Amino acid sequence: MLSRFQYFKPHNLNEAVQYLDKEANSFVLAGGTDLMILLRRNVINAEHIVDIKALPETGVFEYTEGTGLKIGAAVVVNRVVDSEVVNSRYRALHQAAASLASFQLRNRATVVGNICNASPGADLPPALLVYDAVVNIAGPQGTRQVPLHQFFTGVKRTVLQHGELVVSVELPESGEGDKSIYLRQARLRGHDLATVGVAARVKPDGKVAIGIAAVAPTPLRLFALEDQINARGLSQETIEWAAEEVKEHIHPITDVRSSAAYRLQMASVLLKRCLLALIAKED
Amino acid sequence: MDNNKDCSMYTEHVDSGKRKVTLSLTVNGHQVVRDVDPSMSLLHFLRDNIKLFGTKEACGEGECGACTIIMNGKAVTSCIVLAVEAEGAQITTVEGLAKDGKLSILQEEFISEDALQCGYCTPGFLMSARALLDSNPNPSDEEIVEVLSGNLCRCTGYIPILNAVKRTIEREQKELGR
Repeated sequence: MLSRFQYFKPHNLNEAVQYLDKEANSFVLAGGTDLMILLRRNVINAEHIVDIKALPETGVFEYTEGTGLKIGAAVVVNRVVDSEVVNSRYRALHQAAASLASFQLRNRATVVGNICNASPGADLPPALLVYDAVVNIAGPQGTRQVPLHQFFTGVKRTVLQHGELVVSVELPESGEGDKSIYLRQARLRGHDLATVGVAARVKPDGKVAIGIAAVAPTPLRLFALEDQINARGLSQETIEWAAEEVKEHIHPITDVRSSAAYRLQMASVLLKRCLLALIAKED
Repeated sequence: MDNNKDCSMYTEHVDSGKRKVTLSLTVNGHQVVRDVDPSMSLLHFLRDNIKLFGTKEACGEGECGACTIIMNGKAVTSCIVLAVEAEGAQITTVEGLAKDGKLSILQEEFISEDALQCGYCTPGFLMSARALLDSNPNPSDEEIVEVLSGNLCRCTGYIPILNAVKRTIEREQKELGR
């Protein structure tokens, strides 16, 4: 390891926040699947690593009727993949989690870490966005809640201030007749970041929600497009229209994974496939 | 030759000079207590500190699976786990598979199915497969492929590895009553 740092594993949240606040170059460690690579390459000036896995708040993983799903910051992705509640009530999240990286990495990588890393192409944000996820943040000034769609501020940037950490993410209740799907395009079947990732949800009242990744500096919730779709009513014609219209709502770039033109086209194709799957009659 | 440097890919751990942390864990059934550099990876700890050279480093970034070990029942890539994160953990490395000098069924089947050539990835494959079979003695082909897909092999084309795991399932059911 090139980086040189002190390791601190607090057992309560106050201790963690105070340490993060006091030490300038301190970084939060949960699963480490992103952080360890930055440390190994010595690309961040880390002098203090704060392991948050012993905080009681970060270990929470529970579904409560009427309240919804709470995922603590130490909950690893494979726990979500294996969860019957997630599989049945938050289908898109199950699918996105199961497609993230490799099996071994999912044994370490956390759901909250995938949010905090703020990669434009992360798999979990589209699925979390369609479920109106809210991020619970603790810091020197106390706690605050930020809707996930306001959490990302740019490539690898979030609203988190010095001394703050994300304690958990919450998803409101999802009940009967609530359907969702996550589809991703990647260069290979294995473990690559998505070239484009799309999550779509149809709520029991027929209203649509769409989340999309790798087509803008941050993962996006496409509220304006949703409004237009909902105004037209979800039908085969609306889906054909939306698959073209989505291109007006995203701003992909050309990079190592794809050209911007291909991303536009795949966003269109994936959105169409998602919405068609959601209106298909169940067998 | 320094046997720490058994391979050209291996990156030496550079001591950070920071205060050591006392680490206590169980490796292959043996209690181990050592003072470790906080910036040392679990992979480097296993190799440099307790001289278990079976666990390999290749990419060093969690992409290839060569350094896979079993930590508290889960297959993890030890190159991107800090040694200090393993406080209190139960660790199994490839050295923990053979018992009393006799190879395990899984290891025997890797040999008889020609599931290795250069062998560099093999410890990682063995540990991913072991963790799977410990939690699910009768996985489907899809489950085996999913679990092993975090391990890269440039020699075999993977089919012999898949066959070795499937043969192991049959034999463990027959011989160990799993």
